Amino acid sequence: MSKPKIAALILVTCLVFLCSLFLAPKAINPASLSDIEREILFSIRLPRVLVAFLMGVALGASGAVLQGVLRNPLADPYILGISSGASLTAALGIIGGLTFLGSFTIPVLAFIGAIITGGIVGVMGWKRGGLWPERLLLAGVGLSFLFSALLMLMMSISTDEGLRRAMLWIFGDLSMSEWQRVPYGLVFVLAGIALSVVRAKALNALILGDEFAHSLGFAPQRERLILFVSVGLMTAASVSLGGMIGFIGLLMPHIMRFFIGSDSRMLIPASALGGGALLCIADLISKSIMPPMELPAGVVTAIIGAPYFLYLLRRKDVLSV
Amino acid sequence: MFSEAAAGPASPPARIVSLAPSMTEILYALGLGDNIVGVTSFCDYPEETKKKTRVGGMSNPSLEAVASLKPDIVVMTTDGNPREFEELLRTLHIKTFVFTARRIAELPQGIRELGAALNIRDRGAALAKELDQSLTGFAARVKAHGPGKSKEKILYIIWPEPLIVAGPGTAMDDAIALLGRTNIASSASTAYPKYSLEEVLRQAPDVILIGKGSGMDMMEVSRGILHRMTSVPAVRNGNICYLGDGLYRLGPRIIQGIEELAECLNRK
Repeated sequence: MSKPKIAALILVTCLVFLCSLFLAPKAINPASLSDIEREILFSIRLPRVLVAFLMGVALGASGAVLQGVLRNPLADPYILGISSGASLTAALGIIGGLTFLGSFTIPVLAFIGAIITGGIVGVMGWKRGGLWPERLLLAGVGLSFLFSALLMLMMSISTDEGLRRAMLWIFGDLSMSEWQRVPYGLVFVLAGIALSVVRAKALNALILGDEFAHSLGFAPQRERLILFVSVGLMTAASVSLGGMIGFIGLLMPHIMRFFIGSDSRMLIPASALGGGALLCIADLISKSIMPPMELPAGVVTAIIGAPYFLYLLRRKDVLSV
Repeated sequence: MFSEAAAGPASPPARIVSLAPSMTEILYALGLGDNIVGVTSFCDYPEETKKKTRVGGMSNPSLEAVASLKPDIVVMTTDGNPREFEELLRTLHIKTFVFTARRIAELPQGIRELGAALNIRDRGAALAKELDQSLTGFAARVKAHGPGKSKEKILYIIWPEPLIVAGPGTAMDDAIALLGRTNIASSASTAYPKYSLEEVLRQAPDVILIGKGSGMDMMEVSRGILHRMTSVPAVRNGNICYLGDGLYRLGPRIIQGIEELAECLNRK
């Protein structure tokens, strides 16, 4: 297969990791750490890089899975409404000033919102003993509209201050990343990735059609359900870790398809790594443009990612899911 | 416009709509509280304000609600109200006054101009003079104490998670400078930046001020972020003050806000 390409991707990811830790917003020399620098490195930068990486991984992987499950190149983890549901509950907590779980309040609220929404979409997409791609997609879009409207309603009656906080969260906020968030993020993201990588062969078959999958010995409905659950887990974990980050879930799988082809067994891990690396770079840039102010990382992912994607799009002539 | 024939040129407008909490407070301080017929949903001081008709938020007041109150004048600010709204009011031939002061030092002059526009030039001048004197009082006290405190580094937290602080051009920044201290965020590029946590650790503020969030227990809300700043002198030495909303509105209560701040800074 494309082993050198995967090796290159892993190398780039490691490089990005190191840059994120030591370069910006102010360079730290690992050979001569002062006390302050050690604290910044271990209690601020390291957890933040890990959280960013996990989020990016989850978005990249779930995008790759979902585009296959829905057989739609425009699908991304947010299209199922999961993120709108999460944003709604998170904004409720932010604007309402809820703090019942301390710093964990908003992530937990977002996670609950995401899971409930995922459940509703699943129920809506379920007919005749299985999940149907078009139903899932439409249910997700419908719910997205509803939740976005409720979110806007809430924001328009909130104070300017509450509004700004909610906006900052919704645009993706990595500044609150701390060690406590890493373990649960890790658990859900790894579970989701493992589930989808194990079922990647079935996903390959599903992309070619239910009948084809059936003839290869896969039960299409069962596979779709498993993959849907893995997407739900990863998306919920990602939104709960740091809000919504655009671009990665939709376009990272396409970028990776340009490089390594459409085999889900490679595409899922590659999109995951690419997503993780891109979000780390984006966060690095968002911290470095106007220090000591931090810009939303989600804005940066799209600004650096979209032109690159368009460039690739111009160069290639075959598009597929 | 000409319907108030009984009101001569020397009497203040009988029907005023205020489109900002700070303006409402200034109007009350000028003794025009009874003339206010409409306020925003954020106007909550003084207490009587809550009984006034609401015309919407600061950034999205309702044109219809304002117009239906038949105001003689609508008082607004450049800071919180959209410019287009003033133009809309003008097309309806509703008189407006736009308060342009944004900094503490500009407040007295702003009040003088407001007083002139509302036909209460003397009252405006008196309130402005009072504020001027208080402000020079603070500056004089700082001078008397010598410049020793100027190295004291301050961080004013507006909201802890995500960390939003008071940057340059804000009343908080002005107040900190007026009291002879240094705001570590005054070099940021916007007024209320989302601030880098590691920069806080690097700058190591001596005092951390935490502003008031509407109806929230700020001690509870900021516990997490302070926990992550334990190496900072302010947190290590317990130099943390939870302040009221005095500095949030560029009105007469700003003096109380500065006093509260001074009290906190001189506590040690």
